Amino acid sequence: MNTRRIRTTLVAGASALGMTVLSACGAAETNISASDGIVTIAIPSWVGAEANAAIAKHILEKELDIRTKIIQMDEPVAWDALSTGKVDAILEDWGGVPKKEKLYIEEKKTVVPGGDLGVVGHIGWFVPKYFADEHPDVTHWKNLNKYADELRTTESDGKGQILEGSPSYTTHDDAIIKNLGLNLKTVYAGSEAAQITQIRKYVKNKEPFLSYWWTPQWLNAEVEMVEVELPPYTEGCDADPEKVACAYPELPLQKFLNAGFAEKGGEAAEFIKNLHWSTEQQNEVAKWIASDGMSSERAAEKWVKENRDTWEKWLPKGD
Amino acid sequence: MTAVAPTPSAASKAQEPQRTQKTPKKQAGSVEADQRGKPPSSPGVLRRLTDRADGVSIGWRLLALVAVAAVAIPVAASLWGSGSWPSALTYDVRAPLERLDAWIVDNRESHWVFLYFLLHISNNTQYAVDGVFAFLDGLGWVGVTVAAVVVAWYAGGANLGRRALRTAATALGTFAVIGLLGMWEPAMDTLALMIVAVAASAALGAVLGLLSGVSDRCEKLLRPVFDTMQVMPAFAYLLPFVLLFGVGVPSALIATVIYAAPPMARLTALGLREADPAVLEASASLGSNPWQRLWTARLPLARKQMLLGLNQTIMMSLSMVVLASVIGAGGLGDAVFKALARVDVGQALAPGIAIVLIAVWLDRTTAAAGARLDDTSSSGPVSRARAWAGRAGALAAVAVAAAVGSVVGRDWPVNWTVSISAPINTAVTWVTERIDAGLPLVGGTLVWSENFARWVLNPLRDGLQGAPWWLLLLAVAALALLTGTWRTALTATAALAAIGVMGLWSGSLDTLSQVLAALVLTLALGFAVGVLAARVAWVERAIRPVLDVMQTMPQFIYLIPVVALFNASRTAAIIAAVVYALPAVIRITTQGVRQIDPGALESARSMGASPLQQLRQVQLPLARPALLLAVNQGVVLVLAIVVIGGMVGGGALGYDIVYGLQKSELDVGLTAGVAIVCLGVVLDRITQPAAARRPGGR
Amino acid sequence: MSAETVTDTTDTATDPDTAADQVFSVRNLWKVFGPKADRVPGDESLTGLSVAEVRERTGCTAAVRDVSFDVARGEVFVVMGLSGSGKSTLVRCLTRLIEPTSGALHVLGEDVLAMDRSRLRELRRRRAAMVFQHFGLLPHRTVLDNVAYGLEIQGVGRAERRARAAEMVEKVGLAGLGDRRPGQLSGGQQQRVGLARALAVDPEVLLFDEPFSALDPLIRRDMQEEVIRLHREEGRTMVFITHDLSEALRVGDRIALMRDGEIVQLGTPEQIVAEPADDYVRDFVRDVPREQVVSVRRAMRPALEGEADTGVAIAPGTVVADAIEAVARSGGHIRVVEDGRVLGIVDHARLLAVVAGLDPDAGGSHTGGREGVAA
Repeated sequence: MNTRRIRTTLVAGASALGMTVLSACGAAETNISASDGIVTIAIPSWVGAEANAAIAKHILEKELDIRTKIIQMDEPVAWDALSTGKVDAILEDWGGVPKKEKLYIEEKKTVVPGGDLGVVGHIGWFVPKYFADEHPDVTHWKNLNKYADELRTTESDGKGQILEGSPSYTTHDDAIIKNLGLNLKTVYAGSEAAQITQIRKYVKNKEPFLSYWWTPQWLNAEVEMVEVELPPYTEGCDADPEKVACAYPELPLQKFLNAGFAEKGGEAAEFIKNLHWSTEQQNEVAKWIASDGMSSERAAEKWVKENRDTWEKWLPKGD
Repeated sequence: MTAVAPTPSAASKAQEPQRTQKTPKKQAGSVEADQRGKPPSSPGVLRRLTDRADGVSIGWRLLALVAVAAVAIPVAASLWGSGSWPSALTYDVRAPLERLDAWIVDNRESHWVFLYFLLHISNNTQYAVDGVFAFLDGLGWVGVTVAAVVVAWYAGGANLGRRALRTAATALGTFAVIGLLGMWEPAMDTLALMIVAVAASAALGAVLGLLSGVSDRCEKLLRPVFDTMQVMPAFAYLLPFVLLFGVGVPSALIATVIYAAPPMARLTALGLREADPAVLEASASLGSNPWQRLWTARLPLARKQMLLGLNQTIMMSLSMVVLASVIGAGGLGDAVFKALARVDVGQALAPGIAIVLIAVWLDRTTAAAGARLDDTSSSGPVSRARAWAGRAGALAAVAVAAAVGSVVGRDWPVNWTVSISAPINTAVTWVTERIDAGLPLVGGTLVWSENFARWVLNPLRDGLQGAPWWLLLLAVAALALLTGTWRTALTATAALAAIGVMGLWSGSLDTLSQVLAALVLTLALGFAVGVLAARVAWVERAIRPVLDVMQTMPQFIYLIPVVALFNASRTAAIIAAVVYALPAVIRITTQGVRQIDPGALESARSMGASPLQQLRQVQLPLARPALLLAVNQGVVLVLAIVVIGGMVGGGALGYDIVYGLQKSELDVGLTAGVAIVCLGVVLDRITQPAAARRPGGR
Repeated sequence: MSAETVTDTTDTATDPDTAADQVFSVRNLWKVFGPKADRVPGDESLTGLSVAEVRERTGCTAAVRDVSFDVARGEVFVVMGLSGSGKSTLVRCLTRLIEPTSGALHVLGEDVLAMDRSRLRELRRRRAAMVFQHFGLLPHRTVLDNVAYGLEIQGVGRAERRARAAEMVEKVGLAGLGDRRPGQLSGGQQQRVGLARALAVDPEVLLFDEPFSALDPLIRRDMQEEVIRLHREEGRTMVFITHDLSEALRVGDRIALMRDGEIVQLGTPEQIVAEPADDYVRDFVRDVPREQVVSVRRAMRPALEGEADTGVAIAPGTVVADAIEAVARSGGHIRVVEDGRVLGIVDHARLLAVVAGLDPDAGGSHTGGREGVAA
């Protein structure tokens, strides 16, 4: 008989409290930056991106005395964060979220392009060199069906397997397979770590495999791979995701900045806009981090020490 | 991705089987309770809507089902054809979700819901976490360590007794090792997030628990919500929160609270409902009003359950805080992910160990506090003055340590760290290379993996996917009828049909085949090891720390070794699931077998039953409730880790959920999450007999 | 069995309308559990049926059926019956811990059923305190705080309530144990705490619900003595529920014997033993040592010539057992004397008749009672 009264009181109390708290403070800030004076760079989960961020952080902190924070997040998430200002910059964008790109840059104007990173990215289908050496014609898509049997695994339903990576990667492979009439099936490793582990495993046993892969990638220094030729990329051939039947484009990787940061970020923003290095340079640092077990800080320190000529040009001009 | 809190000391806790058996229906569905090795009497995480088994015999009911089927199937088959789920019967749930997604993105900086409500929440959580972090930072590493030790010591009884010293030593060891591993800073990040998350979850859980403890209607309302929250993979609802609150700490914190509050709420409600009626009546007879009764009797009587709830909440928060690194929460989880990006198991293990240790420390501390509540009955008189002196002394110790800390430096000294990465990697590589293919006679893991996929998984999946959709519905209905009632059969069938309607038929059946295989493996292994551990004391002692680690270690860490051993494949996903679900199954089995009525066993022995006969004829039948609970837990845990499976090649629903989160596509992730919940309902309904579901009725 | 036919064989029964000096005055009280319980008491067709029949007809369980009695100030009123007889339900109805279905209930002339929430709480806080079979102590509080609990609920200040609690702790013989917790005490000690808690609020009436059933026989006896002692010292009114006949006979001034929710007999212990109302009661009291309960008043015969002047004099309330001792000592008859007037004579023959159950009241005749017996 009494529980009802307790319940009513509780509910009333809770709602009263909630209303008070909320009405007390009016409209909330839509943009609380992590903290002022600290530059936040978002990196995706691959090492190349870590290399970019590591040297940026090193130079920002050591040369310009600006505290820098690196957070790891996936591309779509990073774009949202970039728009709200929780992240100030992303250094290596592969164009994986065109919708968000359009929304934030053109419509909301919360994100501005920061120029080329200098590194050129390329996605493609790759086979290991030992496999290509043995069967030179495997490097053309027209011959892939011949090797479907060799590429078959338990996961590929009797077809040849093409190993895919993390779900966050841009891929048209299912469409390409269908539209080119290939006897292949995409098998998702589900994460980059799983994909790399799997590739290493194949390489160790010298087994044939076909994989969705890309450059720059630090593993390329460890495992030699040869790209399979797909029908050449032409402007707009990937416009309709259902009808793609061509290779992936060469992609000059892009930097993007939060609009507010680009405007008021001062030296830090200018430095990030200037940052520009080559695929080889990035690969070098990435390999130090990934294969040689160096911490990203140590790798950045080493590279900065050895490549003053390159990065001096990035420093903000002026006095 | 844990559906259940990992609790290292689970098995070490005393059980209360009698109690749980007395009031089983109240605890139905408390998944969390088992983790302390505490079989909640009635297993049922997903079920609620069951009614009393009617008197009609199973045979008649099946006959009726056949009759219904005989009419319905030809009609359905002729209308929509046999084979996979007919597209005429699907409903596009993705389009509205996509629209919702777009609306949120468009409005989240302008709409009043955000400006006046959601953003306040998100900003305040950010401030709170920042504040706690600043506080920890201010204490310095010496201060934090001393504070942790003092808290643990205090929880252990604040004396020189064995328990107090042991918990204090656990705390000291935890923080020393975290520092040594070079994980101090991320650990503080995680700890700051944890503290706020636990405070918020405990508060929310206590309030909800209070509501459902005093009001039957609230309980009815909240229970299915709690059930869903626990089976729904966290990955699936991280995304909506990211959309609503943006990336980073606020989303992580809110997702954590949603995930970790249910056990607190459930156990609070349970504690309130279980309160000794004699005490409540005595209180009423003295003229107490309902509030007085609540404050002076019901709540204090529920203290122990609430503490258990707090323990569960802490453990679940920890696992979720780690997971939430995916959306930029930083901390130890971030360290794990970064190491994974370099495929560096050794590097990932350091934060992993830190997480396990934090879990152990918090578990032992709360468990010690719980044990202390227990023996207020045996300890001597309590002196208030002494208690206050103790508190003041503890505070002083922390203050001094903080002062010392600010002199010594805030961060753990850099040269006091060791790197375990290289040796671990060497060891892992050495082991995987030995057992992946090179084992004489038995082949090796790669061979097993391949054969398992070829001879078990593929036929199972193809069988499920190839079967006519109506046949599967019928089979589920029949199985559910065999163990339950018309109502359970209907729920199970409806859940399966919902999957088809959402258009996830084929992917869900793929996942189902993996889940079934993982479940069978888990249960076979779990029952075998569990029974063994129940009968041989040293086996139990030996596996306990292993189980602790298996339960608390973030699953991401064993992603790489699993792929190395079993290839990126469904087998790898299944192995990951087995590793994850096994500890709970083993613990529940062990406890169930051990806790059966000693009188029954004694009488069997007195009649000269052999050990095997004792097991078969007495122990296993009597442990049936526990075994059913183990099955239920197996279902929940295996489903919960489907997402991790998606990250090692399991594909299907798990992959969809990861895809949804990483690509920011609400429609894909959320529908796959709902499909997993539906699979959970189906499996639960066909594995749990109605009797276990609701002993005694209402 | 309706109210009119319930036997009240005691002299203390009074008109219910003048009940202000009665601590409790209960008339036609019903408690029915189940769906649409309130239609059962009024239904003539159901009142005559047994509990099982009523349950079959209506799905309701009648726990208390048409019960009427009064509890006078200062007496120990015992409600006795086997388990399931409705006695515990009845005592809870007295303070509406269980809401009665119908009937009238007055405490010191005030209508309990008409009380609102706060008035009812006042009743429970200050006028009627209860002692429970399973103690109902708060395990997380010390003995002292448990005893002070009732006062805390009343809103008494901390210092004052602890002082009064300490007094009560001493009174029930637990001095020095005030800082212990209930879990550290034996069952008997715990019930002493329960008793102290009830006494601490200084109630007009103490309600005991099978307070000693859970205790060992020896401790039970101790506690009974304790209650008798308290009653002697303070003269507090008590309503005492028990299923133990010897306990009822020992502590009770009057006993109401319940069966299936009805009172089958209400009377002094002696009346119950000496004049059982029906076979059920007779069966119940068969093993009672009659000489311990029956008084010489029932054994005496008119004085023959000369006898009124000789022999030892005893009071009419003396139990037969004591008279036997006196007769054995003196070797002759003894006189039953009240206010200097000789009421009658008992000798060994009369006393033996009582022990043997051959006295007129004990026989098979149902009509032996002075004021009529239930049909």
